[in-house]
Amino acid sequence: MTDWNAMSDAEFRKEVHQFFETEYPEELRHLPHRPKFAEIEHWHRKLHTKGWVAPAWPAEYGGMGLNAAKLLIFYEEQQRGGVNRGRDMGVQMVGPLIIKFGTQKQKDYWLPRILSCEDIWCQGYSEPGAGSDLANLRTRAEIDGDDFVINGQKIWTTMAHDASHIFMLVRTDPNAPKKQQGISFLLAPMDQPGVDVRTITTLSGETEFCEVFFDNARTPRENLVGELNKGWSMAKALLSFERIFIGSPSLAQNALGQLESFARGRGAYDDPVFRDRFAQAALDVEDHAALYARFADQLKRGETLGADVSMLKIWVTECFQRITELMIEAAGPDGGTVGPLQVGNVSVDVLASFYKARPTTIYGGSNEIQRNILSKAVLGLPD
Amino acid sequence: MLSSDQEDLRLLRESARTLFERAGGSGRARKLRDASGGWDSDMIGELAGAGVFGVTVPEANGGLGMGLAAGGVIAEEVGRVIAPEPVVLTIGLSLGLLRRLRPDHPKMEQLINGETTLAVAWQERGPGGAPADATCRYADGKLTGSKAWVVGAAGSHGFLVVAGGQNGPVLVLTEATADGLSVDKRVQADGSSLGELSFSGTPAEQLAEGSAVQDALAEAISDVTALAAAELVGLSDRAFEITLDYIKTREQFDKPIGSFQVIQHRAVDLNVMLEVAQACVREVLAQMDCETVPKIRARLASRAKARAVTAAKKITRDAIQLHGAVGYTDEFDIGLYLNRALVLSAWLGDDVYHRRIWLDAREEEGVAQ
Repeated sequence: MTDWNAMSDAEFRKEVHQFFETEYPEELRHLPHRPKFAEIEHWHRKLHTKGWVAPAWPAEYGGMGLNAAKLLIFYEEQQRGGVNRGRDMGVQMVGPLIIKFGTQKQKDYWLPRILSCEDIWCQGYSEPGAGSDLANLRTRAEIDGDDFVINGQKIWTTMAHDASHIFMLVRTDPNAPKKQQGISFLLAPMDQPGVDVRTITTLSGETEFCEVFFDNARTPRENLVGELNKGWSMAKALLSFERIFIGSPSLAQNALGQLESFARGRGAYDDPVFRDRFAQAALDVEDHAALYARFADQLKRGETLGADVSMLKIWVTECFQRITELMIEAAGPDGGTVGPLQVGNVSVDVLASFYKARPTTIYGGSNEIQRNILSKAVLGLPD
Repeated sequence: MLSSDQEDLRLLRESARTLFERAGGSGRARKLRDASGGWDSDMIGELAGAGVFGVTVPEANGGLGMGLAAGGVIAEEVGRVIAPEPVVLTIGLSLGLLRRLRPDHPKMEQLINGETTLAVAWQERGPGGAPADATCRYADGKLTGSKAWVVGAAGSHGFLVVAGGQNGPVLVLTEATADGLSVDKRVQADGSSLGELSFSGTPAEQLAEGSAVQDALAEAISDVTALAAAELVGLSDRAFEITLDYIKTREQFDKPIGSFQVIQHRAVDLNVMLEVAQACVREVLAQMDCETVPKIRARLASRAKARAVTAAKKITRDAIQLHGAVGYTDEFDIGLYLNRALVLSAWLGDDVYHRRIWLDAREEEGVAQ
């Protein structure tokens, strides 16, 4: 077993870069859509053989056991190389929760299946009435013999139509005094009569989001992770690392590179007005990276990140949007054209980039919710 | 150039903050503005005593040898209390020139000890400006012509002037009281003044000549530009604190206005802008300490100034709005910060100017994403 953390940052980065550079299939680089598992299965097998499916998991559970510093490097290289994250909900969300709160039996059963992608997971959190106000969720799970019986509806469930299992937050005590209480974390199989999945077509024409309906669906009681009615705080405890990752510079950096080559090819780059706006965007990306580095250093020193890390997400997602808007401006009369636009030997799908940038200010806690959090937790502004 | 570790910088920040706060913080700036529009020579002495002016001068030449990152720490503290003393000017430009061209000159020690202050006259009105096509000439020990936008002209004991000489550009030194020198003061928003200098056969001492002058000037301009960015970050930091305190205490509709979501979100946006600017400028200063290629240092300085001006403009202007009508009065300190930001933004190039310079330099270097 390699002790990755013992390597220097530069050595480790080189090793990760090399692997992604030589082993990742070219045709899958910078995929514009979320792939179904079948499309990336071959790559997943390679990763699995290498033992790199779960960089954050402890080595004893089949992970790489990376510390925060190494983990950041791993993800940076993954994004830089346009390496698809694959169907990683199991690795990113379920696995860590089972490792932290699950029984030995749950660990032995589920973790190897997550790594091998024998089970493919989707996340059932949001509901029609529980978006930003997630604790308002109403999907019920009631004990019936050895099972939970589930009734209700989840929405924005990413890739539910290509998942075998769903991990979900469900209401198990509707009479709890606070709505954050009475919520449990439950695992359930998708392949059963009581579960109905419908895809949602997005603005970009993709169908990666789904609605999932539960009509007396069943799951064994042993699929409850952690204590009954304690799911809310468990799910929240997981978000700490995600909050810096969701604010990482790479999406905006990649878009800026595309904008630059596109605008050069289109001649927009020589226009003084465009140049100033491009310089603004480029500096917004570069200066964000300086702030990101400050938070990353905090992680590397072993400190926990405070609520202020949310500012990374606000800045970079809004910057990402501005960059894709500049692409459309640079496209001129082609700004409404669906599909890749050819400029010299570069091909840029400006609309795909534009659409890709829109939900970034909505997901992972909308930017408005992030501002609410920062104003209270960081600036100490009153209610 | 030596760089300093984080602990050194933290201690330096602490002692600079204590020094300025003991001296009266931003209240001191208001008093000086109302009295004369100048600075306090006792304060110059105190700052010199703390080693402030020689912070980036090598120890062998009587300084602290700490690097630009340390200079930035001091500049931020100057900005926080909007101190009118020519700290950034002296560290970045006056000593920036002298330590590169004439570290042996007695004025070095006097500047470091706070016994003298020297303004730097390097720009001229009209196309081009400085220094290669300077119309201000130096011949036979005498200066003729004019110089513009001289910061600190009003209170300085003398001037370092970049002029055209017989063998290319020269750096010369002239006393403020020299014959044939007239200084026309242009009052600035913060009560300071810019000097328009005209020389008619003014006696001056030549310190250096040739391309070395041009090179040293370019380097000193990079330094002082990045330090001015740090001063703007400190200024923005304090302007934001003042505003945050105000919206927490000012009540309307029986509630603090900071409880309203629209105010909260605007405050968050200013805070994010501030944090990005601070991270950018501190990163730039640290990188400049490790970078030796002048063009790259200039690009870095432009990046810092572009960001700091963008942030300071936004923060001080929104700060006035968040204060409401009292923000428009002279009585409230927030206006002092707005006015200082206007002056520091215009000095050495604003955000639009530096974005242009930055992008051109980036292209020239072939820095692509």
